[in-house]
Amino acid sequence: MKNSPTKNQISSYIIQSQEEEIKRIALELHEGVGQTLYSLYSGLQFIEQTINSSNMKSYVNEMSQLLEKTIQEIRLLSVELHPPTLTTLGLVPAMKSYLRMFTSTYGILVDLDIEGQEPNLTETQKITLFRVCQEALGNVAKYADTHFIQLDFLFVDNNLTMTINDNGKGFTVENEMQRSSGLAAMKERMNLIGGQCLITSEIGKGTTIDVLLPL
Amino acid sequence: MVMDNLYNQTYMKQACEQLQGTIECDFVGLAFQESKGPNIGWKYASGNSNDKYERITLRYGKGIAGRVLSTGRPMEIKYFPQNILGKALEYPIMLAEKLLYAYAVPILINGIPKGVLLVGFRSETSISDDEKKFVEKAAADIKKFLSLEKM
Repeated sequence: MKNSPTKNQISSYIIQSQEEEIKRIALELHEGVGQTLYSLYSGLQFIEQTINSSNMKSYVNEMSQLLEKTIQEIRLLSVELHPPTLTTLGLVPAMKSYLRMFTSTYGILVDLDIEGQEPNLTETQKITLFRVCQEALGNVAKYADTHFIQLDFLFVDNNLTMTINDNGKGFTVENEMQRSSGLAAMKERMNLIGGQCLITSEIGKGTTIDVLLPL
Repeated sequence: MVMDNLYNQTYMKQACEQLQGTIECDFVGLAFQESKGPNIGWKYASGNSNDKYERITLRYGKGIAGRVLSTGRPMEIKYFPQNILGKALEYPIMLAEKLLYAYAVPILINGIPKGVLLVGFRSETSISDDEKKFVEKAAADIKKFLSLEKM
């Protein structure tokens, strides 16, 4: 009789299926809907130039602006779901793109420090690291009450270390681990790719999330 | 937009402060479209607890201010983050200012939403219908001021 799949294999399969679906939607938004809207936007700008009536010109201009806002929102939504650069350029460029969006959305500044050169990571490793970082940053925006985050990437000796540090209000790790499935999911995601996620926090001093991945 | 000169800035800042004084709320924010491009940001605030609002760019159709901009209609949030549309992360100004209640109205220029005026509380308070009308009147006054400025 064949061996049944392990719990880890099932978890990996579910996560991978979800990620593939998210990636498909993000790509469709970015390359499909986004591109079509951009063509419409260019067309409207062309039409606007040919109109003589000032009322009509102003109306078309408003429509152009509305379209521009929609295109921008689609682009941001796509970056949030699955940055197109994650597959093409790698983890660090995708994080840079996400951090720009994070600061302009939440007003929280992020200082990014990178030491070493990003190695060739598998698609699963890249998306896992990106999701863990996304969850950690989201938690800072929701609970930490701070305006600054330090994010460090260290690529040395066949190891990847990612550290997310904030000087926000902090929390009791044991209590939150029981209450929040987000924190547990971060640890579980890292375990599934053979890495670790360590969460340390002190009330009034802030939180540090250390992510380690042997390569 | 027409927010760049000192006279306008003083007027807008005072409008926020006066509204905060009248409603006795914790926070008042005024968002407007940037002079270039489609971005809309919080330009003025009163009662702010930090400077995050200055860096926030509104997401069209998202959060309280984004929805007010896309629909052109007022919106109220009570007991944030309970009973909200979407996720708490889609409400940056509520998170940044730790607001539990907010009422936001559009500032319509030629019938098109170009800005948002928002009042908020950090406690589970809400405002009366009369106070809502006062917020709407403040938005109409800002619109009137901007229309006069353009003439």
